Amino acid sequence: MATPPLPATSRIESDDIRFDRVGHARRRLALDRAASWLLPLLFLVAIFPILDLVYWVSEHAVPGFTWQVIVTNPSGNAGGLYAPLMGSLSILGLATGFAIAFGFFGGLATAEFLGPRSAEMVRITANVMVGTPAIIVGLFGYFAFVIYFGWHLTLAAASLTLGIFMTPYVFRSTDLAYATVPSHIREAAYGSGAGAGQYLIRVATPIAFPQVLTGVFLAMAIGVGETAPLVLTTLQSNLPPTGLFSPSNALPFYIWSGYTSIFPTEIRLAFQAAFLLLIIVVGLNILVRVIAARARKRLEGLFQ
Amino acid sequence: MPESPSPDSSGPPESRQPVPPAAAGVRHILRKVVPYVPALIPLGLTLAIVFTLLYESHLQNFGWAFFGFNFADYGIMIFVVGSFLTSVPALLLAMLIGLGISIASTTYLPRFVSAWLDPFVDLLAGIPSIIYGIWGYFVVAPYFGVNVWPWSVMHLGWIPGFGRAQFSPAPSGDGLALAIIILTLMILPITTLLMRDALRSVPRDLWESGLALGATRWEVTRRVAIPYAKRGVWGAAFLGFGRAIGETVAVAMVIDQAQKLPLNVYDGTSTMASLIIETIDSAFILTPQGVLYLRFLTELALILLAITLAVNIAGRWIIRRTFTEVAGI
Repeated sequence: MATPPLPATSRIESDDIRFDRVGHARRRLALDRAASWLLPLLFLVAIFPILDLVYWVSEHAVPGFTWQVIVTNPSGNAGGLYAPLMGSLSILGLATGFAIAFGFFGGLATAEFLGPRSAEMVRITANVMVGTPAIIVGLFGYFAFVIYFGWHLTLAAASLTLGIFMTPYVFRSTDLAYATVPSHIREAAYGSGAGAGQYLIRVATPIAFPQVLTGVFLAMAIGVGETAPLVLTTLQSNLPPTGLFSPSNALPFYIWSGYTSIFPTEIRLAFQAAFLLLIIVVGLNILVRVIAARARKRLEGLFQ
Repeated sequence: MPESPSPDSSGPPESRQPVPPAAAGVRHILRKVVPYVPALIPLGLTLAIVFTLLYESHLQNFGWAFFGFNFADYGIMIFVVGSFLTSVPALLLAMLIGLGISIASTTYLPRFVSAWLDPFVDLLAGIPSIIYGIWGYFVVAPYFGVNVWPWSVMHLGWIPGFGRAQFSPAPSGDGLALAIIILTLMILPITTLLMRDALRSVPRDLWESGLALGATRWEVTRRVAIPYAKRGVWGAAFLGFGRAIGETVAVAMVIDQAQKLPLNVYDGTSTMASLIIETIDSAFILTPQGVLYLRFLTELALILLAITLAVNIAGRWIIRRTFTEVAGI
C-alpha cells in the first residue's frame, strides 16, 4: 500500500530533525528513560480527582440514602428528591426527543446528500455550536421560550432549551456514523441496484445505528448534568411536573440552589442529588462503551 | 417502460423518458435544496442565538465606561480580565499535562495499559460541571485554605500575587487559584484527546525511520511526532480555551464571587460567565435598574459569545482535516 503524501503544512523540513550532537548516548538514553517513567505519572492528575470525587460524593450521600429519599418530594429544607429526579428525567426525555428530531436528520442529510465542500462547512458550524457556552444557550432559551413564547419557567421551556444545547452532539455523531460507512459497501449497494432509500434503510442504517445510539447517549450524559440552561428556565418546584406547561425542578438545579444552604439536611440532599446524577452519568457512559464495543465486534472486518 | 424508445438514444433508461420541465424543477429542488434544510439547523440555531441576544440587548449604549473597570458604571473590563486570568493559566496547565499524558499514552505505555488508563481521561469529560463545583467547594477549597495557602504565604510570599492579600487575611480557599485548578481538570480531556488523536495520526514510517536513525523514543517524539502533529496541538489549545472561557457553573461555585479584580491568587473575582449566572436573578426584577442590568448582562453575553465563536471557528479550522469524535468534544 502506498503511503499517502504528507499534508503540505506539516511536512517535516530536514532542518527540523536535529538529534542531539555526539557522544552523549548515556545522557540521551537517560532522558528517554526519565520520560518513560515520569510522563505516565501524569495520568494520576486525571485519575486521582475522579476517584476522590466519586469516593467523596458516595461517602456523603450513601449513609441515609433510602427509598424514602427517592420517593419523597422535597419540603422546605428536608424531604427527598422525587421532584428533582422526575423533573430531570422528564426534561432529559423531552430534550433528547428534540435533539434527535433536529440532530439526526441534519446529520443524515450532511453525510449523505451534501457535496463534500458544503458538508465540511456544515460540520464546522455544528462543531462551533458545540463550543457555545451553556449559559448563552440558557439566556437564549430564557428570551425565546420563557418570554417570547410566553411559556414561563416550565418543563417545556427547560426541555427545549436543553434540546437546543444537545442538538449539535447528536448531529455530529449521526453525521460521523453515516459518513464513515465504508465506500466499498456503498458502491456494492448502489452497484447491485439499490436506490438511495434502500441503501439508507437496508444498508447504511444497520451499520451506522450503534454509533448514532452512542452519540445520543453521550448527548444525554452531557445534557443531564448541564446546569446553566436550567438555572434560567426552570423553577425551584417541590412537586414533579404534571404537564408540559407546569413548573419543573431538576437535579443539577437542586444542587445549585442547595449547596450553600445553612441546613445540614438540605446539604445532605444536595450531595444525594449529586450522587444520583453521578450514577446516571456514569451509567450512560458505561452504556456507551458497551454498545461501542459490541458494535465493533459485530462489524469487525467491515472497516478495513 | 417507454413504449417506443427512439433507436438513436443510448443513455440509461430514465433519460429516455421525456421529463416535463416543471417536474424536473421539483425533482431538482427535492434533490438539491431539501437536504440543506436540516443540514443548516446548527447554523440557524447559532444565528438565532446571536440575533436574539442582539435584539434583547437593545444595543443599549453604556458609553465608554462600558469598556472600563468600574462595575458601578456598567464597566465590563473586570470580568473580561477575570475570564482571561482564569482560563489562560488553566489552558497552559491543561496543555502541558495533556501533552504529557498523550505522549505517555501513544509512545511509552504498552497498548493494554493505556487501554485501561485512557477511559479515565474520557470519564473526566463526562462528569457534570456542577459536581466539579461542589467537589471543589467542599473538598479542595478547605484543603487550600488550611494547607496550601499558609505554606505559599510562608515560602512563596516573595512572588507577587502569592503573598498575603491586603483585604483577605485568611481566605476560605476558594478564589482564583481554585477556579484555575478546577478549570484545568475540566478542559484536560479536550486537550488530551485532541493531542492524542493528533499523535496517533503520525505515520508509522516516520516513527520507524526516526528510530532507525538512532534516535531515542523521546527524540522522535520531540523532533518528529510533535512537529507533525502541530496542527492538532494548536487546535487543542484553541478549543480548550473556548471551553475554559465559557465554563460557567463550576467556576461560579469556586471563584468566591466578587465584582473586583483579584489582589492575589487566593482572592475572589468574577468571570463573564460566572457574573451572568450569579447575578441574573437581580436582572429579572422589573425595575428600570433591573431592565438596564439585563441589557448589560446580555451585552456581556454577546461579548463572551463573540470570543468563543472566534476561538472555536479558528480551532475547528485548524483541525478540520481530522474527522474524529471523542466523548462529546
